[in-house]
Amino acid sequence: MAEMIEAVIDDDHPHKPPMEREELRDVISLSLWAGQMLLQNGADSQKVEETVHRLGTQLGCDWMDVVVLYDSIIATTLNNREFRTKARRAPGRGVNLEKIVQINDLSYQAMRGELDRFVLRRELRRIDKLSPNYGRWTVVLFVGLACAAFARLFGGDLAAMTITFLAAAIGMAIRQQMALAYFNPILTTIVTAFVASLVASVGVLLKLGAQPAVAISAAVLLLVPGVPLINASEDLLNGQIINGLARGTWGLILSLAIALGIAMTLWLTGIKIAL
Amino acid sequence: MSVVLLVLEDALWSALAALGFAMLFNAPRRALPACVLAGALGHGLRYGVMHGLGASLVASSLLGALAVGFLARWCAVRLKMPAIVFAVVGVIPMVPGAYAFRTMIGVLQIAGGIMEDSTTLTQVMTQTVQNGVITALILAALAMGISVPTMIFQRQKPVV
Repeated sequence: MAEMIEAVIDDDHPHKPPMEREELRDVISLSLWAGQMLLQNGADSQKVEETVHRLGTQLGCDWMDVVVLYDSIIATTLNNREFRTKARRAPGRGVNLEKIVQINDLSYQAMRGELDRFVLRRELRRIDKLSPNYGRWTVVLFVGLACAAFARLFGGDLAAMTITFLAAAIGMAIRQQMALAYFNPILTTIVTAFVASLVASVGVLLKLGAQPAVAISAAVLLLVPGVPLINASEDLLNGQIINGLARGTWGLILSLAIALGIAMTLWLTGIKIAL
Repeated sequence: MSVVLLVLEDALWSALAALGFAMLFNAPRRALPACVLAGALGHGLRYGVMHGLGASLVASSLLGALAVGFLARWCAVRLKMPAIVFAVVGVIPMVPGAYAFRTMIGVLQIAGGIMEDSTTLTQVMTQTVQNGVITALILAALAMGISVPTMIFQRQKPVV
């Protein structure tokens, strides 16, 4: 028995003052909460792991082992002979760079020793409730303009750009509305791709401009799962193979959902697009 | 028009595309100028290298993404924000949406047997596989490009 206790104490990480069991519980809950928000808002797996580890150890744990999965995080905190383990689910995927930036700030504040668990809880609560930086219709306007810019980059003329703008803006408004009603993201993607490509196909049917088909490909770009796909590749490069594959699969599923939406438009209108 | 003017025009539209996606991703307001700059730099450079030097699309994408990655690191230090904010928005204009679209259309044509008069099924299949491979390679090049600066500059002993 004495040897076992010796083995637990004699590990290779620094030892900090013993914490109350309740304090240890707080630290693991709060660091996992930060990790959960990072995971749900578009951070890569390594960022999540580092941040949870940093927060935990800076708030008084000797060590923290963190397992980041595709949609959950498990962490074990160590402090002297005490340890606590907790799993936290983090389902759902969005992208919110503001939240990532603010939680990143918190992890640096913790490293400078400016953060205790009470301040951390208050800050996480505030970040969780942050309202978007840009109004709903501002986002609709600028996403429409972004897709119109893509139409231009694909060689479209002013007519194609105008139609793309309308189609993408309508698509974005529908996507927001469906997200607010908690529709399944795959269904949301199919419906948005269908409506956006249907509006864009009006240009092809009325033969507006020289290259009306460009609008169909540009109008659905607001749905392209760029962040999941880039995070997937980044996870794979960082050795987070399973998470990389899972995120890549999710990106692929969303891409297929876009294809299905476009296919419905093409079947309905009978438009044939040359490769 | 000279290549320089074409590159500038390309950069301008890419900037607009990056701005829209930065807002879609709820980027912090003070990060917007850097995000837009990253988008314009990456896609503009890709266009310039492709049309000025005749490089391939995939190679030019890698160069563009490398430029975005290094700019993102510099902005990250200057603005005290994680580099991922600028890197992700910066490569968005280069994401191969048009190739992915053509791959999907090709798959639909194979499934439905709907061909343009002059093309055969074999031609459609060859074209579709080629489009799919280009899509995958560009995505890999983008991820590689924005990861390299991190691999070079963040070599401290892993915390976990």
